[in-house]
Amino acid sequence: MGPLVINEIISENSNLLLAFFIGIGFGFVLEQGGFSSSRKLAGVFYGYDAVVLKVFFTGAITAMLGLLFFSLFDWVDLSLVYVNETYLWSSVVGGVIMGAGFIMGGYCPGTSFCGASIGKIDAYVFIIGLFIGVFIFGEAFSLLEPLFMAEFWGSPRISEFFGISEGVTVLIVILAAIAMFWGAEWAEKMFPRDEY
Amino acid sequence: MKNLAINPRILLSVILISLGFIIAAVPKNTTTPFKLTAQQILDELKSGTQYLDADMVAKMIVDKDPVLQLIDVRPQSEFEKYSLPGAINIPLDNLLSTEFQDILNQDMMTNVFYANGSTRANEAWMLVRQLGYENNYVLMGGLNYWFETIMNPQKPATTSSDDELAKYDFRMGASQALGGGGLVSNTTLKESTGAAVPKPKAQGKKKTVKGGCS
Repeated sequence: MGPLVINEIISENSNLLLAFFIGIGFGFVLEQGGFSSSRKLAGVFYGYDAVVLKVFFTGAITAMLGLLFFSLFDWVDLSLVYVNETYLWSSVVGGVIMGAGFIMGGYCPGTSFCGASIGKIDAYVFIIGLFIGVFIFGEAFSLLEPLFMAEFWGSPRISEFFGISEGVTVLIVILAAIAMFWGAEWAEKMFPRDEY
Repeated sequence: MKNLAINPRILLSVILISLGFIIAAVPKNTTTPFKLTAQQILDELKSGTQYLDADMVAKMIVDKDPVLQLIDVRPQSEFEKYSLPGAINIPLDNLLSTEFQDILNQDMMTNVFYANGSTRANEAWMLVRQLGYENNYVLMGGLNYWFETIMNPQKPATTSSDDELAKYDFRMGASQALGGGGLVSNTTLKESTGAAVPKPKAQGKKKTVKGGCS
C-alpha cells in the first residue's frame, strides 16, 4: 500500500501535516537524548560520549529493518521509495566539510536547530555560520558546479554494489553497529570526562 | 551472575540480531512489482482509453508529429518485412528488457503499440500500464485494420454523411503520403484533414516525490 502519497492514499497536504508531527517528535527525542548539547555531540570525536553514534545507528538499523519487514508484509513498495542520488565528489567533499564543522562547532545542521529551540547561544552562532556557508555556496556555485556534479552514480545501494541481498546487507550493518556500540562504550570508559 | 535481570543492552542486541537474521533469510518480496491493481487495469480496459484509432495515428504520421513514437511489438523478422514509418521494434518477448525501459517509461512521447491485430499490442500495453508507465497507447485494430482503412480505403456510399466522406478523403490523402495503394483523391489533403481527430485522453498524472535530510 505504501508509500502513502505516491499511491494517493493520502494527499500531499496530509503528507506535510504528518511530516510536521513526525518532525516535532524527532526534535523532541533529539533534545531529550541530549543532542542540544554541543559538548555531548562533539564527544563522539573524542570518545567520551558516543550518544550520537548510538542514536543514529539505532535509527538507521531500525528503519532498515522496518522497511524490509514492511516490504515483506506488502505494506510498502520499496521500488517507489526515493533514494538520494550519489554524486561521489560532492559527498566526499561535503562529508569532510560537514565533519570538520561538526568537530569545531559541536553541532550538525539538524541538532543546531535542536539547540536553538532551547535557547543555546552557541547553536544560534552555528546557525548564522550555516547561513553564511549557504550564501557562499550559492554565490560560488558556478565555480563549484563541475565538482558538485562530478561522478554521478545514480542511486546505487550497498546491496546492489556488492551483489548481495538487501536482507544480508541489513544483517551486516546490524552486526557492525552492535560491534561499534560495544567499542564506543569501551571508549567512553577509556576517555572519561567528568563534566561536559 | 546472581542478578537474573537481563542487561537491556544485551536484550536489544539479541533482538536486533535475530530480526537481522530473519530478514537475511527470507527472500526479497517481489510479489507486487505492479503499481496498478487488476481492478484499475480492468476499468481502463473497459473505458478503452488505451486505443488510438488508425485515422488519428495516420494524421500524426502525416503531420510528422514529434511526440509520436510507434512501437512495433511483432517479432523482428516481421518488422523487417514491413513497418509503419518511423516505428521502432520492441518484440513482445523483449518488452521488459532494461534497454527499452527508457522508451516505455517516460512522459514526453506518445507511444503507440501495434502488431498485426490488437491482441499483442494490448498485451504490451497491459504490462507496461501495470508497471505504472504513462503515455502508452494501442493502435486500434492493428496493421490489418490499418491496411483496410488507411492504405486501401473503401469509398463510402454517396449517401453517406459528410463526416464519412471527409474521413475517406483524409484516408486517401494519408494513403498517398504513406505510400499505400489508394487512388488519387479529388480533394486535397488539406481540406480533408477537417475530419475530427480525437486527442489522446490522459491516463492519470505521473508523480515523483523527492525527499532528503541533511
